[in-house]
Amino acid sequence: MKNQRWETKPLDCWQLAKEIRRNYDKAIAGRDSVLGQGNTSFTIDWQAAFPAIRVVEDNPVGAMMAAQDEAFARRARLASEVRGWGREICGYHNTCWGAQFLGYTADGKPFPERQFTVPFPCVCDSHIKRGQQCRDYKPIARWTNDFTMYIGERDEKREEAMLDHRNFNTLKQLNEMETVFGQKLDDETLFELARNCRLLKQYRADVSYFMTFTPAPLSVKDLYSFFQLGSLAKIGPELAVKFWKTLRDEVEWRVRNKIAAVGSERFRWIEAHPPSWHFLKYYRYMEQYGAVCLGSQYTHFSQSQLERKPDGSIDDREYPVYSPDMELTTREDVVRFMTGPDARAPHHFKIDEYLRPFALNEFADIFAADGALFGLWRAGVGCTLTRKEQAMRLRQAGYSVMCYEGAQSGDRVDLDEKRMLEQLDTWMESLGLQKLDE
Amino acid sequence: MAINFKKMVVGRHAYAKAWKERGGGKILGYFETYFPEEIAYAAGVLPVRILAEHEPDLISDKWIYGACYPVKDMANQLLLGRMDYINGLVNTEGCQWMFNAYEVVTNNRPGLFNHYLFLPDYTNSATSKDVLRSELDVFKTKMEDWTGNSITDEALDNAIEIYNKNRVLLRRICELRRAQKPVITGSEYMHVLLADQIADKAEMNVILENYITELENREPGRDTLRLMLIGSETWDSGLEELIESSGGNVVIDELDNGTSYFWNNIYPQKDRLMAISLRYLDRPHNPVKDSNWRRRPEHIFRLAEDYHVDGAIIQKQIYCHLHGTDNYAVWRLFRERNMPFHYLERDMFVPKEETALRIEAFMNMLREGATRLAGWHKKALI
Repeated sequence: MKNQRWETKPLDCWQLAKEIRRNYDKAIAGRDSVLGQGNTSFTIDWQAAFPAIRVVEDNPVGAMMAAQDEAFARRARLASEVRGWGREICGYHNTCWGAQFLGYTADGKPFPERQFTVPFPCVCDSHIKRGQQCRDYKPIARWTNDFTMYIGERDEKREEAMLDHRNFNTLKQLNEMETVFGQKLDDETLFELARNCRLLKQYRADVSYFMTFTPAPLSVKDLYSFFQLGSLAKIGPELAVKFWKTLRDEVEWRVRNKIAAVGSERFRWIEAHPPSWHFLKYYRYMEQYGAVCLGSQYTHFSQSQLERKPDGSIDDREYPVYSPDMELTTREDVVRFMTGPDARAPHHFKIDEYLRPFALNEFADIFAADGALFGLWRAGVGCTLTRKEQAMRLRQAGYSVMCYEGAQSGDRVDLDEKRMLEQLDTWMESLGLQKLDE
Repeated sequence: MAINFKKMVVGRHAYAKAWKERGGGKILGYFETYFPEEIAYAAGVLPVRILAEHEPDLISDKWIYGACYPVKDMANQLLLGRMDYINGLVNTEGCQWMFNAYEVVTNNRPGLFNHYLFLPDYTNSATSKDVLRSELDVFKTKMEDWTGNSITDEALDNAIEIYNKNRVLLRRICELRRAQKPVITGSEYMHVLLADQIADKAEMNVILENYITELENREPGRDTLRLMLIGSETWDSGLEELIESSGGNVVIDELDNGTSYFWNNIYPQKDRLMAISLRYLDRPHNPVKDSNWRRRPEHIFRLAEDYHVDGAIIQKQIYCHLHGTDNYAVWRLFRERNMPFHYLERDMFVPKEETALRIEAFMNMLREGATRLAGWHKKALI
């Protein structure tokens, strides 16, 4: 192949991933369970310890609606805005809850109304308000919690009350769910989930680590295809571990044999937050320039983080966690294990950029990036805060940075796709790169 | 002589500098009205609200994208050194855009004393009061270290008494607005509140007491359409003045730096920090703190009833995602209870002609012939 610099081949585990996803979609379609709004993936997937509880998050639902059917997504947005929802609310929410007001989904099926909401505490204000939308719609059970944070060095004493607060609310929620829904929470399963969760995290962290190599064995576009397996797509802990081990092993093999995701790789770029989900084709577009995207803090830091060690090596950033061998005898023990000893955990992308203003510079260094591409989202406070500062810091460190504007990752309304591609052309050409087939 | 509160707001920087020169100590800027000023005050510090104003801004776009204009202006002012008398900044957990201004400024001025105070968004959990009490304790220690002053129980009692008195005085003025012909206009009241947020409360209490005496001797005002102002914080009285020039009057508000700032008192108890914690968790909440069961719409409606309003203006700063998520619930309640309202999005300023036309049309809808637009729709039909 012309301009090929590295050997490349499709991933062997594609078929396995597709099969898992197909089975998951089939399973949830036929399952008779109590459906709730929220997220459980940052800690342990506690819903699996209930006989018939299913928690879905509005983010992927809204993003999927916007990606699959533009006309429907616009109708859904209108349905929420006309009732008073602001234009600058996160697109995930506006679209998902707009469909709730319409009463149907894009395929015409009735909108699956939520029967409860559980929290997804986050530093993002839009997340804090989440769950009220379906609670406003009809009287359903509601539980909430806080994301506890502060700026500066860790202060264990200060965190004691924060951790007690979080643990109390989580325990209360699990106990009350048993009563409200008449379902017994299986503590043994909960213990098992807690013991296994570290394994999945490590496999995911390994995949991130392997992506720091040149050529990149996996592009972020590839990674996003697997991203939800075991997190938002609740495929079950055993299968999740099995899949991520398979992927990890294959990616390691690719690194050892210098098998690239993009055979013409010559420019490596990073992002900061979620991409425009309906327009992922820009990743492939950039490949025409030999440019490969390595991902972002969002992609890699939801489970663990990497850092440059003093000796120059790259390894996991260590945060305080409880040992997987911690004795778990009561439900309260599991709740404490889930929350962990660190009140500002999980250290995902948003909290990370507040606590470590130069985190993205370190990320760019670790992933051997040449540049960065940032979405500036008018309607996504959590996805936008600090972005301009990060761009400046990267530029000061010698990285080339391009920004583009849009409404929000899950909202296609304001993203001018043609303009964005033209911006990408200009960006690449300004760096002396031409499309490889020209 | 009557005090000019508008002048006080405009001259706030000079006031703060003069306060400092009098040997008053350090000045601490804060962003959110959830900041427990009492603790700083007990340490001999003057807490000063960072007020947004309209100044052509060449700086903040470089640092901030997508925030509301008041937040950008706050960052702009602080980065330009307009408030160089401030010795420190504190951000209480709340609006994320305000946090944006805080972190931009503190990242740019690393030497500036700063503190992030966690105040739960889930305000009514059984453990919320404990976690906030703990945070207040951390802040108290930090204040003591910063100032070198010990915050004794007596100092806290004194601060609580002064702040409680201030709230009572503001409430007394607010109660005068219930009258059929209020002696105070909405714009004047907003200036009182803004001035209160930048002044030493002990000094302000004396001013307010004199002011109340003056108000009690005033002739009744006009019998006008009575409006309520709801939504994002406002930083001047432009909207109130515009409403007044159209023949209406804002008789009550539900704004974070309006009535919500002073609505409830601290009920003293032996554990002073717990008393403060309970006050801030129990105040009328803005959307980010009203994140569990919705209490805010009911509070708004109660104010509307108590102050006999004819209609409400719901205004939202562009990019205010928090009010964007709450307006649905407020609209719905107003519709259910037959309370007329008009919704508008705004910038730092409101566009005068456009907003005046909309407000006049709304007022005319409330009472035909109330404004110069009387009968306009009939003429249009011809």
